[in-house]
Amino acid sequence: MSATFLKVANLSDLAEGGRLSVEVEGRAVLVFRLGGDVFAVEDVCTHDGQPLTDGELVNGEIECPRHGARFDIKTGRAMCMPAVEPVKVFPVRISGGDIEIDQASVN
Amino acid sequence: MTTSAATTTGFGAEAFQAFLATRNEPGWVSDLRRASFGLYQESLGRPLNPEEWKRVDLRAFQANRFSVGGRATTTPATRMGTLLGNHPTTCEAGFAGAVAHVDGVVVDSHLAAELTAKGVLFGDLNELLRTHGDILKPHLMTRAVKPGVDRMSAWHAAFWTGGTVLYVPRNVVIDQPLYSLIGLATPQTMDGSHTLVILEEGAQATLLEETASATTTDAGLHVGSVELLVGKRANLRYVQLQNWNQQTWHFAHQAGLVEQDGSLQWTVGGIGSRLAHIHQEVFLDGKGARGEVNGVTFATDRQTLSYYTQQTHRSPNTTSDLLYKDVLRDEARVIWRGMIRVDQAAQKTDGYQRNDSLLLSPDCRADSIPGLEIEADDVRCTHGATAGRVDADQIFYCMARGMSRYEAMHMIVEGFFHGIYDRIAVEAVRQTLSRAVEVKLGIGQ
Repeated sequence: MSATFLKVANLSDLAEGGRLSVEVEGRAVLVFRLGGDVFAVEDVCTHDGQPLTDGELVNGEIECPRHGARFDIKTGRAMCMPAVEPVKVFPVRISGGDIEIDQASVN
Repeated sequence: MTTSAATTTGFGAEAFQAFLATRNEPGWVSDLRRASFGLYQESLGRPLNPEEWKRVDLRAFQANRFSVGGRATTTPATRMGTLLGNHPTTCEAGFAGAVAHVDGVVVDSHLAAELTAKGVLFGDLNELLRTHGDILKPHLMTRAVKPGVDRMSAWHAAFWTGGTVLYVPRNVVIDQPLYSLIGLATPQTMDGSHTLVILEEGAQATLLEETASATTTDAGLHVGSVELLVGKRANLRYVQLQNWNQQTWHFAHQAGLVEQDGSLQWTVGGIGSRLAHIHQEVFLDGKGARGEVNGVTFATDRQTLSYYTQQTHRSPNTTSDLLYKDVLRDEARVIWRGMIRVDQAAQKTDGYQRNDSLLLSPDCRADSIPGLEIEADDVRCTHGATAGRVDADQIFYCMARGMSRYEAMHMIVEGFFHGIYDRIAVEAVRQTLSRAVEVKLGIGQ
């Protein structure tokens, strides 16, 4: 399926080191801005199936606020127990002043 | 269909007043709605019970996109894609009676004349509250599902749109099943069906109920309730097949209450909806009461089906037996949180609960959480949960004997569900569930 990038937020709404919760195709997605780049992961911990929204971001890893599982926001890889499965990551880009996510990858 | 209230979306004070103005119902019913609306508004300031809701992802749910139904419809029951086949419009179709609601409005209601003569009531809740309010008032939201239990029950009690009532007088036995259809046809509509079944002492009946959507694409919302009141020595078989399209949100608070030596067999089929959460309770209130709960769920794509079940033993020598079997595929999620509660007075309780999940894909997820809360000291309560993927050896074995992968998968899924089909006494329901499973597997029509 070909990529279909659509705007999900203004880049100006997302400060360096910050995050935004957005909904794409009915899926909760967490968008990060780090080192001048943006990243998007599914906002669900693969360990307990609940949101990662308020977890700490440390060295490019989002930590689950309940049990401490950590995921690399660039690759989705599970970095420590209790999670063993990666979290989904979605192609995201900056276009002008917009943050755009590939909707086709979310479906 | 040009009432201005029809355009008021959401469930705020304005929408409630507009909805109330369209109702033609006894004063006590409106009073119950007003009190419930107050409870609903209060409940919005409190979080939902995390024990029940923390695994249910409601982030994409926006109630304000929907408007309450119950005003008008032009869609006949026959346009609904039902599992049980065409809606039975006469008593010759194997059912002693049938009721159908579309968008919260009754569109068909009939009952065999000999049952009417025996005092049986079967039809639309709105109409029967006007004509037989004296019989229904003591039971409506007073015994099984009370408005103040939680946000969903209060929301429903304020905005219920209609629903099916079955009242069977003392010692009347109905041999043929009755049928009830709840349909949604207009996009962005909220159905607030309330099913109320009252079996007096020694009565017997079977009610099959089904939910269905007119299209596969229109978003819908169901905030429903089911109350099953089984009197002494009465015997009720109730089946609800939830088969909404995958754009529909389904929230329901359902409870059965069984008196002395009464028996309730309750079968739940969870096939459709985008997200469903069902709070299901069985109260064993009288000595020797028995409750059996059978659940068959099949979730695919990105569906979430969540069940919060409670078997509450309040009297001695009561029996409960719950079995839920789930099949999941794609990125689907099924959550089952079950509890057996045994009051101090309920000695000699025999309680059982079990949940089995079959996972057909690597990305689906099943959460199974059984629990016991026992205050009596002479009981037998057991529970169990299993989850597993399809055994590759079984598929290989079948394919080595000439079956296609689909056929092999079908046989394995059918075999998995068979343990529960055997418990369901109504042949039409067994066949219907089996057909629904085939359709979900992509091999049926």
